[in-house]
Amino acid sequence: MSAPSDRDLIQRARRGDAEAFGELVLRHQTSVFNVCYRILHERAEAEDLAQETFIRARERLHTFDEERVFGPWVRRVAANVCLNHLESQKGTAELDEERDADESQRPETQVEVRERSEQIRSALASLPAHYRVVIELRHYQELSYEEIAAELSIPLSDVKSHLFRARKLLAEKLHAPD
Amino acid sequence: MHLTDHISDVQLNEYLDHEANDRAQVELHLSICENCSARLTALKDLFSEIESLPELEYSQGFSEASLWETARFVSSRNPSTPLPRSLTLAVTLQAALAVIAIIVAAPFVMQFLSPYVAGIPAASFADVFLQLQSQWAAWLAMLSTFQLPRIPEFPRIELSSLFMIFTVIGISLLWLIGNGLLLRNQMK
Repeated sequence: MSAPSDRDLIQRARRGDAEAFGELVLRHQTSVFNVCYRILHERAEAEDLAQETFIRARERLHTFDEERVFGPWVRRVAANVCLNHLESQKGTAELDEERDADESQRPETQVEVRERSEQIRSALASLPAHYRVVIELRHYQELSYEEIAAELSIPLSDVKSHLFRARKLLAEKLHAPD
Repeated sequence: MHLTDHISDVQLNEYLDHEANDRAQVELHLSICENCSARLTALKDLFSEIESLPELEYSQGFSEASLWETARFVSSRNPSTPLPRSLTLAVTLQAALAVIAIIVAAPFVMQFLSPYVAGIPAASFADVFLQLQSQWAAWLAMLSTFQLPRIPEFPRIELSSLFMIFTVIGISLLWLIGNGLLLRNQMK
């Protein structure tokens, strides 16, 4: 028997089937967690907000258009949840320099890749909140300028300038001499 | 845009994002300009670096119980949409101004009240109510005999200065308490 589609699970979840929603969570938790982690760069906080994302998704499930794909939708919800969280914390907390706990032995090249990934994550984390979110929506969720503007309720010109400045800052941080 | 004009950084971003309206012109210029081509390559490399970020494994999972626990926590923590910061600031400013106004006015009020407190008794609520009732009845009677050419004269309500002062102070206090309660809920 083939696994039920996301659409089937959504329909069942709308009828109050908690197990169906649990299955949706299971399928999308990694991608949602990664959205949160890319924006927040702090594992525990990313886990909390990933969880909050699914709660929000469950609350808004009745507004979800079944013709659309659930994955991108829930990832956008995650980006918004993270942005709201960052806005509410503006100016209070510096982001932690968290390293992955799992430091198992790996070949040298993989270590280099991991180090570079960590540099990119740190550079992303050092950007202002609204820059981080436009980078997330453009590069990882592949939204168009207009979709980003609609998602964040900001003018199109702001999307362009945020993206341009965010990339400029990233390039400076990533290519700065050590 | 002329063929020889260099492409701005913003245009390069739009071009790589597939959001440029003048793609053909940009490509034409890139074919003859090494400088802009080099900038495009650098930007492409940055895009690749950003998008090369691997997804982290997340295998812990959220239990249904913890989801519900968080749901309860979220709903109790955030029962309504928080007020915009500008509104909270405006209310705080209003409250602060009201406190200052009361502090400034207090000596004048005390000075004004001192000759009256001993001599003139303040009108009781019943007196004021009866006075208002009789004025209302008189006004209704006047309305019942209303004729178009004549404009009814609103009866003069005589209220003592003392009553007015207490009314203003009472309203100010109610306003302060109301705003205080509003802010207290926001700060929780």
